[in-house]
Amino acid sequence: MNTERLTTLAISDSGFIFDPSTGDSYNSNEVGIKIINLLKQGKDFNELMDLLIEQYEVTEEELESDLNDFIQILKNYHMV
Amino acid sequence: MITVAVSGINAADNPGPGVGIIRALKESDLDVRTIGLAYDSMEPGIYLDHLVDKSYIMPYPSGDVEQFISRILNIHSLEKLDVIISTLDAELPVFMDIESKLKQNEIQMLIPTKKMFNMRNKTKLNELSQAIDIKTPNYISCTSYGDLISATQKVGFPCMIKGPFYEAFKANSPGEAEGFFNKLAAKWGFPIIAQEFVKGQEYDVIGCGDGSGNNMGLFAIKKMTTTALGKVWNAVSIKNDRLLKACDRLLEHILWRGGFELEVLIEEETQDIYLLEINPRFPAWVYMSAACGINLPERMVKHLLDMQHETHSNYDSGKIMIRYTNEILKDISDFEQISSFGELENKTR
Repeated sequence: MNTERLTTLAISDSGFIFDPSTGDSYNSNEVGIKIINLLKQGKDFNELMDLLIEQYEVTEEELESDLNDFIQILKNYHMV
Repeated sequence: MITVAVSGINAADNPGPGVGIIRALKESDLDVRTIGLAYDSMEPGIYLDHLVDKSYIMPYPSGDVEQFISRILNIHSLEKLDVIISTLDAELPVFMDIESKLKQNEIQMLIPTKKMFNMRNKTKLNELSQAIDIKTPNYISCTSYGDLISATQKVGFPCMIKGPFYEAFKANSPGEAEGFFNKLAAKWGFPIIAQEFVKGQEYDVIGCGDGSGNNMGLFAIKKMTTTALGKVWNAVSIKNDRLLKACDRLLEHILWRGGFELEVLIEEETQDIYLLEINPRFPAWVYMSAACGINLPERMVKHLLDMQHETHSNYDSGKIMIRYTNEILKDISDFEQISSFGELENKTR
């Protein structure tokens, strides 16, 4: 997964995301920001699964489904 | 002190660029006297005494050229103009004709030649976009209903029906296209352009070319909201290297001379850049660039007067421009001055 574009995003503590190359802005919650930051660090899907399942009360199936959904959203916005 | 005359001070709902240019000059390090060139007594810039030092009513550029030159030279005899910044598409061809005469009178202008001006004509964007390696939506100029039918068959639906100067509508059917065609032709005249619909977001880049392929700095925005005429109302500054490089290629290709605004669309899926229009002057939102550290009107004036000036394009992305409306109160005697005598000196300087 190419995460180069994620490194250019300006992300505030409140979850507001600004893309300086397109002028687009988005809102995300704490979990979304955590995933983006982990992707920026170069973590792959399996590493994300391992890290997130330790921190949240969620089944593996639910997490895998939600994570796939979120990554698809990032793809739709051409962020990854 | 430098004296700069600026046209397009009609800061109304479809604003001219003049007031933004004057504001940029007033906030620069130039010691500048600003002269507003107005075509109507109710142009708001005339009454903005914190920006415009004196205004003069001009004859319409579509009228007698000798009368136009005569008025400029009359103002020059009173003001000793150093620079004129022309901001209106309709007057630019006249200034192109008289630029050398103005130069003989030591009035400097940085405007395109007629060849450059024609190269960025809406009907020639195909050639230009190919030359600078970006795309442009397929479009066909129409001067009759028959042309429209044929054009929409070629570009398909949905398509954009655009006026020669302002306004564009998305048509989903031949019936809608006909309605927009008639509406635009009645309002703006011909040609009407039928253009392929490309889904994406609109961006603008502005700059100033020195006539030898170099720019004096570039500044890019995403349009956040526009007026019914498609004019920028709110915008956010962006840094997009692909856009800025396309601009550089444009300047190298046509050796642009003067201010310009490149209007583009970035296609949603492919992220391809589509050229929509090149305006041969600064836009009405040019003050935003100055407020972000790229004072293009200042750089243009300094270039013309052989003064040192910056050429960098280092600005912050994520700055938003909020345009708003406002009112000022003036005495009727100011209106009397400008409408009866054709000039108004603002006293608060």
